[in-house]
Amino acid sequence: MMSVRGLTRVSRSACARCRWVYSSLGTYADPPLLQNSSHFRSPVQASQEVLGCRVIYSWVSSALSSVGQQAHIQSSSAVEEQLDPFSLVADELSILANRLRSMVVAEVPKLASAAEYFFKMGVEGKRFRPTVLLLMATALDVQMPRHPADAAIDTLSTELRSRQQCIAEITEMIHVASLLHDDVLDDADTRRGIGSLNFVMGNKLAVLAGDFLLSRACVALASLKNTEVVSLLAKVVEHLVTGETMQMTTTSDQRCNMEYYMQKTYYKTASLISNSCKAIALLAGQTAEVSILAYEYGKNLGLAYQLIDDVLDFTGTSTSLGKGSLSDIRHGIITAPILFAMEEFPELRTVVNEGFDSSANVDRALEYLGKSRGIQRTRELAAKHASLASAAIDSFPENNDENVQRSRRALVELTHRVITRTK
Amino acid sequence: MVVAEVPKLASAAEYFFKMGVEGKRFRPTVLLLMATALDVQMPRHPADAAIDTLSTELRSRQQCIAEITEMIHVASLLHDDVLDDADTRRGIGSLNFVMGNKLAVLAGDFLLSRACVALASLKNTEVVSLLAKVVEHLVTGETMQMTTTSDQRCNMEYYMQKTYYKTASLISNSCKAIALLAGQTAEVSILAYEYGKNLGLAYQLIDDVLDFTGTSTSLGKGSLSDIRHGIITAPILFAMEEFPELRTVVNEGFDSSANVDRALEYLGKSRGIQRTRELAAKHASLASAAIDSFPENNDENVQRSRRALVELTHRVITRTK
Repeated sequence: MMSVRGLTRVSRSACARCRWVYSSLGTYADPPLLQNSSHFRSPVQASQEVLGCRVIYSWVSSALSSVGQQAHIQSSSAVEEQLDPFSLVADELSILANRLRSMVVAEVPKLASAAEYFFKMGVEGKRFRPTVLLLMATALDVQMPRHPADAAIDTLSTELRSRQQCIAEITEMIHVASLLHDDVLDDADTRRGIGSLNFVMGNKLAVLAGDFLLSRACVALASLKNTEVVSLLAKVVEHLVTGETMQMTTTSDQRCNMEYYMQKTYYKTASLISNSCKAIALLAGQTAEVSILAYEYGKNLGLAYQLIDDVLDFTGTSTSLGKGSLSDIRHGIITAPILFAMEEFPELRTVVNEGFDSSANVDRALEYLGKSRGIQRTRELAAKHASLASAAIDSFPENNDENVQRSRRALVELTHRVITRTK
Repeated sequence: MVVAEVPKLASAAEYFFKMGVEGKRFRPTVLLLMATALDVQMPRHPADAAIDTLSTELRSRQQCIAEITEMIHVASLLHDDVLDDADTRRGIGSLNFVMGNKLAVLAGDFLLSRACVALASLKNTEVVSLLAKVVEHLVTGETMQMTTTSDQRCNMEYYMQKTYYKTASLISNSCKAIALLAGQTAEVSILAYEYGKNLGLAYQLIDDVLDFTGTSTSLGKGSLSDIRHGIITAPILFAMEEFPELRTVVNEGFDSSANVDRALEYLGKSRGIQRTRELAAKHASLASAAIDSFPENNDENVQRSRRALVELTHRVITRTK
């Protein structure tokens, strides 16, 4: 998804790494194809057997342990920060990571390699979405009277928690499937059809790997035995597709339209997180009202995140313009700052219509942007959405449990981080 | 079910319907016949509207399976077609070309998501799992085809496994889903599965033959598209058993038409075509036997549908295109 610039940049190099892996693996030991397709070997065994190469396995395990380290470092600096949302759920996330790994084991080696890519992506992204969802799950914990002898209730709690973790896993699978699909042909024109077999196989494999992840997500969804949740998350896939299509096929009028842009942004970025938050609430047996609040949190958080993403594409880690990667504008994607600038400087629209193949036009646009209040207004809009998200949490039904309160504070903390981040 | 908000997505969905027409809707036909063939007989009383509603509702659900199956099938076609052409176009990277491909990927995803929603509406976890597994099989089969080593390419078992994934899994698992929805026993559901599987395999094997023979019985009159794409199918695999030297030709590849001719020569001398037809006939009769093992049912419609399913096992092997 072009929605997260940093990830897309990284994904290109990760893809290149994957292609290197494909070409260097050459022949491998007889794949155990004739076994029953539903037979799962242990993930460790599978990755070693299947890829015939320990490099990949150590990649993943060191990447995963670095997440643990990151989380630890963050929690040790928690003296200054009251609350680190990510470290609250770090342990749970490792469990999820292991489960995910076993869920995407594939019989065919090359498919397995593409699934590995999946885990790198997850690590790179700090697992933002699963973090939100796990925090939401705790924040909405329906308080049940606990009696020491009531093992049944505890089992129910644990089972509910597993189901909610499953939502987090499914969400990641859907997210990565969409990234794989979107990346497929984003490179087609820039590579200018250097149609090497690896290139073609790399792309087709990405399409297939995305389908594979989607099918696993479907199976996982089915196991939840909750039709509403299945519908919600299937709708998300549809939204991702619609959003990407909107981006590809805009007329010049639509490109310059803020409403169209926000709708597209909802589809591409916010729908996944909002609907999965809602799914968490539904699984927890919350009322429709509370489920909608959870949805609103996710939606506004997602929108705020994307708007700041747009700003950072221009500013990078500095506060001045033009220091960011400028990848949106170079791809002809018109984002919020430019849309705001166009309201102040209608002549910018002519530049936009000409397109941004020439860097001269990019510079011209940056000039207008600098003169305008485009960046500031985008930040203001992001802040507005962030506080709407925060307000949704504050409207949750009262709950005195310490864990619940801490998770809710963490969710609010996330709404701050989303707008203050510099990368 | 496939109306989309965005116009271009809608056009891609139209393609879906054209494809459905082109294919004579083979899969849905099988599934609807199967639905009738497995009709659990319920005592009918004139005043029993509730039972009739139940029947109608069941029928809708089974029709839904047929629709979902078509959506999954077309989604996979859209995705497979995406990059089959990439190398032949040699990257004439026009925007339409790029958009065409990307739109195909997106349209395929769109159909898959609609299939998921439809599946969810059936409120039957086992059915959802079955059909989700099909998507996985389609992916696995296509990947197997793309990434074979030269040993695997020349291996009949590998080929049959790949063929199961790519062709037979969809029809077999959806037949099973039909049976499950009808409330049939596990045993009967497996029979339905076996019918679908053997029918699908028979279909593909004849498909392989026709790629060589076309509508005539002589060799080389078919489109030869498999071999030209370097896809080694059953007739060649059988021929290689008789003529090991054919394997060298296969390993060289088929970019040159000289090698294609050489392969056809070996094929003609061998019993490759005949043995493939024999294997297809064997699978067709296994399919037929599965129907004959269904629990007895005297209803006229049920019997007629079963006969039709058996008739299909004949047509699948006698067809000339």
